[in-house]
Amino acid sequence: MRRISIVLGLLLWLAVPPVRAAAGPLDGDFQIRSAFVVIDRGVLQLNVHVQYPINERIRSALQDGVTLAFDLELNITRHRRLWWNANVLEMTVRHELTYHAVTDRYVLRNDQGAEQESFPTLEEALDRIGRVEDLPILVESQLRGEGPWQVAVRAGVRRGRLSDTMRALMFWSDDWHRNSDWYTWTLTL
Amino acid sequence: MDTHALRLYGVRGLTAISIAAGLAALMLLAASVENSALFSRWQPWILLLTILGVIALMALLARKLWQLYRDFRDHAPGSRLTVRTVLMFGGLVVAPLIIVYLFSLDFINRGIDSWFRVEIKQGLNDALVLSRSALDLRLREQSRRTEMLARSLRELHGPELLQRLDEERRSIEAREIIVYDATGRAAALSSDTPMAQQPAPLPPDVSLQVAAGRSYVSLNPLPNGQYTIETAAPIADAVSAHATRRYVLIDYEVPKELSALAEAVQHTSSQYGDLSAVREPLKISFRLTLTLVVLLTLLAAIYGAVFSAQRLTKPVQDLIAGTRAVGKGDFGTRLPLPSRDEMGFLVHSFNDMTKRLRRASEEAKRSRQAVERERERLSIILSRLSTGVIVTDRELHLHSANQSAATILGGDFGAATSGANLAQFAAGNQRFSKFLEELRGRLQSGWDEWREQLSLPGEAGERVLLWACTPLPDERERGGVVIVFDDITALLAAQRDAAWGEVARRLAHEIKNPLTPIQLSAERLRRKLLGGMNAEDAQLLERATHTIVQQVDAMKQMVNAFSEYARAPDMRLAAFSLNQLVTEVAELYRLQDPAAEIRLDLDLSLPEIHADRGRIRQLLANLITNGIEALAGVAGGCVELSTRQQRAEGTLAAVICVSDNGPGFRKEMLGRLFDPYVTGKPRGTGLGLAIVKRIVEEHGGRIEAENRPEGGAKILVVLPVSDQDRSLLAGGERRVELRRERA
Repeated sequence: MRRISIVLGLLLWLAVPPVRAAAGPLDGDFQIRSAFVVIDRGVLQLNVHVQYPINERIRSALQDGVTLAFDLELNITRHRRLWWNANVLEMTVRHELTYHAVTDRYVLRNDQGAEQESFPTLEEALDRIGRVEDLPILVESQLRGEGPWQVAVRAGVRRGRLSDTMRALMFWSDDWHRNSDWYTWTLTL
Repeated sequence: MDTHALRLYGVRGLTAISIAAGLAALMLLAASVENSALFSRWQPWILLLTILGVIALMALLARKLWQLYRDFRDHAPGSRLTVRTVLMFGGLVVAPLIIVYLFSLDFINRGIDSWFRVEIKQGLNDALVLSRSALDLRLREQSRRTEMLARSLRELHGPELLQRLDEERRSIEAREIIVYDATGRAAALSSDTPMAQQPAPLPPDVSLQVAAGRSYVSLNPLPNGQYTIETAAPIADAVSAHATRRYVLIDYEVPKELSALAEAVQHTSSQYGDLSAVREPLKISFRLTLTLVVLLTLLAAIYGAVFSAQRLTKPVQDLIAGTRAVGKGDFGTRLPLPSRDEMGFLVHSFNDMTKRLRRASEEAKRSRQAVERERERLSIILSRLSTGVIVTDRELHLHSANQSAATILGGDFGAATSGANLAQFAAGNQRFSKFLEELRGRLQSGWDEWREQLSLPGEAGERVLLWACTPLPDERERGGVVIVFDDITALLAAQRDAAWGEVARRLAHEIKNPLTPIQLSAERLRRKLLGGMNAEDAQLLERATHTIVQQVDAMKQMVNAFSEYARAPDMRLAAFSLNQLVTEVAELYRLQDPAAEIRLDLDLSLPEIHADRGRIRQLLANLITNGIEALAGVAGGCVELSTRQQRAEGTLAAVICVSDNGPGFRKEMLGRLFDPYVTGKPRGTGLGLAIVKRIVEEHGGRIEAENRPEGGAKILVVLPVSDQDRSLLAGGERRVELRRERA
């Protein structure tokens, strides 16, 4: 009975991720400082400034070979009366940050790995990841219907380069996963 | 909805929740395992569903175990067998499960640890150091070459500079050589890709380094796995160190073989690092997953064990319940057939047994009912019997007795319970006491079978019983006997009556015939001889013949009286008022003998009776005559006639009571008062009361005579009011008739 109680307690503990996240390796200031959309010649361009957490555990983990994935999620929805909001755009911009031990540099790659930048320090690399400037997301004509539109941005960090099977196996104990709060604003043309 | 239905729905609901939650969690896990975004989104739901399923399963199991405990505590049929079966099943499941669990835990720990051996990590680190060393050597070499080029570029500007850069680039096989001016803008460029873009400004970190007069060297990885060495150095121009300072930046390409090797080391090291970081979380995950699976399996196994045990022991429980029901006499118990196995055979045998038992029980019940009916019939017969029956033991404890026994003995058994001592009913009853005394004496002397007459004293004269005793067949050891007795007083009286009637008839016949010739002869003698005789002889003859004629008349009267007694003329029944008749007869006697005091006390509500008026008149006359004669010489003598009605056992009777305040009956005559020729008077024929008794019996009534406690005699005549009452009374008095016929 005692063993069952322990296991139950453990299950309940695992079922409350927000409590665990407060004491995790990604602890620190993690928030979206600013976000806005500008329209340049009919193209909607996203500008976001994210403050990612920096601490020795992150640095140490990176230097031990851990790859971190940084996701920037963007949702644009259109409000509808008496019905669910219409989903106009749903996209994720992903970067992977690794420590290149041979060159002693922090390498930042985009989702496809086609673009790559390297930085001598972690701070520079995180600063680069946290600054999204003039990212084209939509042409104006794609905003069908009448506004206003609700734009929501959220940043997330998690352990990268894990296969989905491995990630599924580790869902009990993977504390390398944290999301910022949604940063939302109303877009009007 | 009752509690049982609620529980049933509760159990079904929990089972459905458990199964649905488990299936839903499994489906979500399967759908999301290939999609990390979905997995992240559904992870809480998967956990929640899993926990819900486990809780539902635990609730089901807890309920089952509680049921089991409660049944065990309450000693419910089959609960011990169920517990033993559950323990056995549970033990069979739990023991290997725990062994497999512990073994798997150890295997997981060892297996995962073996993936991250120290030797592998050390090898990777060594390879990394080696790669760095190789590249460091090249970095230093390229840095020195850049510094040398920077020195050689002093004072070179314009086309000369460009030419020199091209020559140098080809010479050192660099990818690009750029000369920046003091502001950081590209002043000259030599590249192996002529169509390259406009060179970027000098990066800040490079600028800071070379502005301080130091060389800069950097190794940069490219997306294609190649490496480049970026070096920079200040160009020390002679004119003015501050105004004309320029910087040269050279981009070397690391040889492909070296780049490939270094990249392979980097890649492997990075992969190892990624995996190594998840070692502990992976172990925890595997342990938790295994624990959860084992827990679920354990719970399901225990639940299955309890469920199977209950299913297995259900027929046994049914059998126990059925056996108890049969033990309590419910032979209608039928158990459901569980299967066609041995248990089914057992249940079938049980059902067959109860079927036979039920048949036998019904047979026994029918027999018992028949016995009961026979007992009731016997009881009715006994109660209707005029013969007294008493069943008792040697200590005179009453087992049973009928009403006639109480009537004959003058007692009252009332609601006497079996086992009461007979002595308690005989208290104050002379007849009953004498009966018990005789009975006790015989039984105590070991006499348990006899048949004889017994005379018992009584207030209304002596009673004669014919009693017989015989031991009960099955009660001989316990001394049970049945005593059957009959009051034959009336029978004896009837026999005497019959004998006297016959005597009277013969006497009348034999005597009456010669009386007339005697009387005629005497009168003839007087007529013939009287005239020729002297006066003295004539007087003698006159007296003698007169005496003869007078005595012959007296004898004729006596013979006529005998004839009257012996003759039983036909009854002429008619309805008349008894009170009126009593009044008439009483008035007649008052007129004949004014000195006689006759008092009447009549019941005016007495209905008319159906009887022979003439014979009742004779009855009344005889009784009044008897009373008046008894009062001869008694001062203040009085005859009292009273009538009243009496209801008993559904019959209505008229009671005539004739009493006087004379000397009463002599005690020795009380038993034979109604016998012919029994009289206490000097001139009585002794036939008066005998005739009265005959008239009463002809009317189906009864007569009793006794002395009054205050003095005087009392005769009680009970006559049925109607024919119906007569027939009912006749049932009770039939034996008198029968005896008379026999007599």
